[in-house]
Amino acid sequence: MRCSRVGEPTTRWRSRLAAFAPVDSTARVDAVVRRLTDAIALGLLADGEQLPSEAELAAQLGVSTVTLREALMALRQQGMVETRRGRGGGSFVRVPEHAPSLTDRLRGLTAEELRDLGDHYAAIAGAAARLAAQRALPEDLAPLRRTLEEMAATGDEAHLRRLHGRFHIEVAAVSQSARLTQEEIRLQADIGPLLWLAHTGEHGPSAQHRAIAEAVHRGDGDRARDLAERHVLEAVEHLIELRLREP
Amino acid sequence: MSEFRTLPAPGTAPGGPAGGAAEAACAVAAIVDGVFAELHRVRDAVTAVLGPAPVSGDLAALRPLLLPRLGGLVSGIGFIAAPGLLSDAPWYLEWWQESSSGDPVRLVRDMDPASSAFYDYSHWDWFSGPRSGEDRTLAGPYVDFLCTDEYSLTLSVPVLRGGGRGERGEFAGVAAADVFVRRFEVAVLPVLRGVPGPAFLVNRQGRVVASTTARHLAGSVFRGAPGMAAHPCRDLPLALVAAQLPHVP
Repeated sequence: MRCSRVGEPTTRWRSRLAAFAPVDSTARVDAVVRRLTDAIALGLLADGEQLPSEAELAAQLGVSTVTLREALMALRQQGMVETRRGRGGGSFVRVPEHAPSLTDRLRGLTAEELRDLGDHYAAIAGAAARLAAQRALPEDLAPLRRTLEEMAATGDEAHLRRLHGRFHIEVAAVSQSARLTQEEIRLQADIGPLLWLAHTGEHGPSAQHRAIAEAVHRGDGDRARDLAERHVLEAVEHLIELRLREP
Repeated sequence: MSEFRTLPAPGTAPGGPAGGAAEAACAVAAIVDGVFAELHRVRDAVTAVLGPAPVSGDLAALRPLLLPRLGGLVSGIGFIAAPGLLSDAPWYLEWWQESSSGDPVRLVRDMDPASSAFYDYSHWDWFSGPRSGEDRTLAGPYVDFLCTDEYSLTLSVPVLRGGGRGERGEFAGVAAADVFVRRFEVAVLPVLRGVPGPAFLVNRQGRVVASTTARHLAGSVFRGAPGMAAHPCRDLPLALVAAQLPHVP
């Protein structure tokens, strides 16, 4: 084991220094780029959609207009935003024909990182599903059923992917926990598009989705948690196998 | 207003009035009615703004009225158009909320169900209630992942166009306000604490909104318990549940 030289901060101390460092503007620009890229990948922002004015968007994201402009410039370079001048001008979302591919992103993660992301996501999804089953009122099931029906009816893959995300956020919301719901939304932004790789070729809602809704409906917290955890872990396992096949 | 479905019949405890519970229920109603009074002003302003062929830009005229109403209990306020009302935007909301710094910020979201899986608002209780004829809707508590990601109540009233001479106008949308559950708790807890014994508020479905006991916390469902009685908060879809007082001869 290598010892640290005199005067060199230990790794632990270094990581603390990093934690206390002011969030620099580069990190903010990256965060904004990531947010908007994920929103486009998840289909929350659609092709051709006009973004709010720079001032309005900066205020919503809680960043300065300078930071926002830098982020927009980066997105323009990636071809994900187009800015038109003059009357009817503004910034518009562009979904590129070949968006940065998910397999590229998968290659950027190790199997260990994927496992850890999966563990975290399974814990959140499981806890949310258990509380949802304990706290659900009959009318709370209506949005879940509607989403399952829409999943069954759609033939469009992008739409199906959005509905997948919506289903899990709706389950989390039934838990009555704002924090668990926020965490579900955040984790979906982190790993959701990747998990979709594990679902390729699926049509409509899976038996797992229906079973989760059914367990919540019956108030069976243990079963809801088991199902929700398994739903995440099986997909992550599949994803790790895909990753290990890559060089 | 329909009956509280999961609760024992409201009323006074056997042997006499239920301490301060009935009065406390009225005091809670007064707090909630204060927010509805604000919404009635918003509703009237929207009706005045809507011409025969309204467009989304017309609604900007509401801003001087909406912005000063943020703060206190109200964390978000605005008008949500009925789909198809505005000729230039089938789905639209003129919605303002407090940002983390406390400054008002307009919510801008893709509300078109054709491109977004999330923002079809027509199914949410705060919209469907007024549309189906409720005069005052109190939706939630629920996790509002549409606007704020907060645990919230949404109060709403219908905005109608035309009508008059005894005829109900055409539904044009809803005037609504968000109240975070944590702020509501701060506002009603002093009232609940005035009731002897444990006391909590439940919505029409029996979901607890605020409470003085850890046995029935916000978010849980109250399915009735022996020795507890529900007192309606006037004509609101809200009731105060408190211990029945022992019979005093």
